[in-house]
Amino acid sequence: MTNTHLNIEAVSKSFGPVTALNQIDLKIERGSFVCLLGPSGCGKTTLLRIIAGFEKPTAGRLLLDGTDISEVPPHKRGFGMVFQSLALFPHMSVAENIAYGLKLRKTTAKEQRERVEELLNVVELPHIADRTVSALSGGQRQRVAIARALAIKPKLFLLDEPLSALDAKLRDNMQIELRRLQQKFGVTTVLVTHDQTEAMMLADELVVLDHGKVQQAATPTQVYRQPANSLVADFIGAANLVKAEVDQNGQLALFGNTFKVAADHEPGTAVSVAVRAENISLRPAQANGGSAGRVVFARDLGAFKEWLVSVKDQEIRVRSSASDASEYQVGDLVHLSADPARLSIFPFTGSEDAAN
Amino acid sequence: MRVGLLPTEGGGTYRFAILFLATIGILISSLPVIVVTIMSFSASEYSSFPPTEFSFRWYLEVVQLFTNEDPSSAQSVVDSTLTSLLVAFLVMVISTLVCIPLAYALARSNRNLREGMELLFTLPLVFPLVMLGIAFLLIAESLQLELGIWRIAIPHIALVLPFVLRNCLSAMNGISVEIEEAAISLGASPPRAIWDVVVPLMKAGILAGLIFALIISFNEFTVTFFMYTIDVSTLPIWMYSRTVSSLDPATLALSVFIIVVDVFLVVLVDKLIAGRGNLF
Amino acid sequence: MSTEFLPRKQALLFAAPAFIAILPFLGACFYILRFSLSGEQGTIEGLSFQAYRDLMTPFFGRSVWLTLKLAFVATVIVMVLAVPLAFVLTSLRSSFFRRLLTISILLPLILNLLVQAYGWILLLGPSGVLNSSLKALGIIERPLFLLFNETGVLLGLVQTSLPLAVFPIVGAVRAISPEYLEAASSLGAGHWRTFKDVTVPLLRPGLVGAASIVFAFNASAFAIPLLLGGRRVQMMGLVIRDMISPLFNWSGAAAAGMILIVLTLFVLVASSWLVRLTTTAKETH
Repeated sequence: MTNTHLNIEAVSKSFGPVTALNQIDLKIERGSFVCLLGPSGCGKTTLLRIIAGFEKPTAGRLLLDGTDISEVPPHKRGFGMVFQSLALFPHMSVAENIAYGLKLRKTTAKEQRERVEELLNVVELPHIADRTVSALSGGQRQRVAIARALAIKPKLFLLDEPLSALDAKLRDNMQIELRRLQQKFGVTTVLVTHDQTEAMMLADELVVLDHGKVQQAATPTQVYRQPANSLVADFIGAANLVKAEVDQNGQLALFGNTFKVAADHEPGTAVSVAVRAENISLRPAQANGGSAGRVVFARDLGAFKEWLVSVKDQEIRVRSSASDASEYQVGDLVHLSADPARLSIFPFTGSEDAAN
Repeated sequence: MRVGLLPTEGGGTYRFAILFLATIGILISSLPVIVVTIMSFSASEYSSFPPTEFSFRWYLEVVQLFTNEDPSSAQSVVDSTLTSLLVAFLVMVISTLVCIPLAYALARSNRNLREGMELLFTLPLVFPLVMLGIAFLLIAESLQLELGIWRIAIPHIALVLPFVLRNCLSAMNGISVEIEEAAISLGASPPRAIWDVVVPLMKAGILAGLIFALIISFNEFTVTFFMYTIDVSTLPIWMYSRTVSSLDPATLALSVFIIVVDVFLVVLVDKLIAGRGNLF
Repeated sequence: MSTEFLPRKQALLFAAPAFIAILPFLGACFYILRFSLSGEQGTIEGLSFQAYRDLMTPFFGRSVWLTLKLAFVATVIVMVLAVPLAFVLTSLRSSFFRRLLTISILLPLILNLLVQAYGWILLLGPSGVLNSSLKALGIIERPLFLLFNETGVLLGLVQTSLPLAVFPIVGAVRAISPEYLEAASSLGAGHWRTFKDVTVPLLRPGLVGAASIVFAFNASAFAIPLLLGGRRVQMMGLVIRDMISPLFNWSGAAAAGMILIVLTLFVLVASSWLVRLTTTAKETH
């Protein structure tokens, strides 16, 4: 592991009686783009603020290139940060904002000017150096905030939900741009988001946090295809969590189909099966017997169609691509079948009823 | 039809009642000041309204009051004015200097501390002025303190603290912690971040507080009435002692100066805190 | 989620200068309390309620009654004028007129009280604007005595305390969404009906708060009765002053002052308690 840039070792944080982070271990590769993803209140922002130095961990330590930086105050860490509110200085011009970090580093006025110009070119805003912050549009502010953080040539680039205030279209563009910038500068980046699409789009490594713990840290594809547990499966993508039972032969029955499961699931135990909406297909059924379900909701979203099918006492979400010509109306009886290769099976925890 | 608290059209008796009462309110508020201003331009010695003739003679007399020292009067108007200005200056600077860090601390620390401190610093506002005057007099007299000008400045500081603090606090409210953290993340030490980011952003609130302190101290009468001595007295006290028996048109002319200065300062405050909260 | 940005120790350090600045005030408060319990009139000596007992005179009782009466009447008048003024102030579009109105309302609170007393004397005095106009019109033969009695004091109190009510009410009025009024109107309520059923209930916490401040301010008035009452209107402020200046009865003044402080604080606390009670009662419904 010679290429570990930031090593987070057993970091915990509690606010009074509330435990925000519980024994976080994480290795962040040099030059990688890491997304911390999780529902609100999962501790992702707290972790980012601990990395930045704005919160002190209750236990554990941070190693940057093998050096313990836990006691280094935030202003001496040299990490560029983009805040949720962007936090541009309203009493300074765009150029003064970007140059502020350089000024503190006692660089000459000429160097500052050149660096400001260079960065404004990089973020494709070459002519706004003298504007005031209030005269900028949302997207421009975004870029200035990024330029300001990158101006100090940060060892780590930290972003706290920086795109959450933008509208959908602009956000899409900024995501692509952010990814390009990060690759151009090769800076190790940690971004916090609650938006899984954003995380999937940006990350080399996706860290799913929930209940103050790392639930899974892997590539986006791995997280999507092989969720580590039912929490991850539930949080990423439109997944159905269905309660099922492994029978004496090690077979699992789901929607009337049976298939063999891996030997590590004891026969006779209850399991929960995570199956994504797009991995289920429907075909018409004649009578409401056995495994058939009834369509209770149908919508066409253009890119795909979506149905809710009531099976026994559960509603299952099903998606098909737009090219699929099948049409089901509310009230239709259908059979469901799931792609056995795309199932994830976890021990039953009891939280499945709350799932879709 | 548009509906509003004050209907722009129609509204019948409701609209009439609102406008009628508001007019009375405005008259009660402003008539005395208007009459003083008009009468100060009267040429006659006697205060009959409306003045039959206008002149600047009382203004000239005020100028003379300030230039030709009358040795017979114990406390000259020049001394009083200078004392007033000096006290107002001290009060303004000291109250602002102590309120800036306090406002910062209150805005950035936990809630309990904030609520307690805010309550403490609102007390002078609800404390009866007479009692403030008497209390400070009691201390100064029974402890035989030789305070000089501070005899008046110290009570004035207590008096203006709530106003100055409120202005500084409302300025702090608009400054998020993130903006300070942004400066820190770029390499500013916490004190440096306060100096580079917080103080410049507080500027309007600080200025409003400064001016508020100046206005209140310069116009203060009640507390000063108890604290003044032969040597240390302010302009309002001088005006009082001069007019105890009868009104003197020269004092009216002096009053107009004070009105003009006050109006100017209030406009300044209003501009500074425009759009951000109330005057109180 | 977030811890305090500023550690407690540092926060106290930042607050220290202001604390020193307010210390004389706290000392003064304590001194008044201590002096009121003194056994002697001129010095702090022993511990007794003698000063309070000495206040049990019909004269002081009349002064308390007069103070409460004038403060109450002034508060009612102020509230009746302040609400319409706040409506007008918030509905003015022109920023020039808004500023002009703001200043003419605010000025009486901050302007040197002498100047305002002069104004009232010129307006209402025996040979003032009002009397000479009425005389010229032949309506009266002898001047009306509007000054140096309760009427004059009342006018002065209303004038100086009006801004204390107008500005908080302006804040409360701004917080009312016009949609409430439109909703009431769409349901068929007229202007008066909307005022009674929607506006006043929404403003109530602000109104109670403003009224209590105005009352406390007026109850402890000193300069206005001194300048406009001609010493004939013996409000508590003046009585307390007289105990000191000609009589040197320090402990008596302190005790009377304590009664004044308790009265005003009681009004303030009771009203804020009342507001809290009515708002929480509504939330639990």
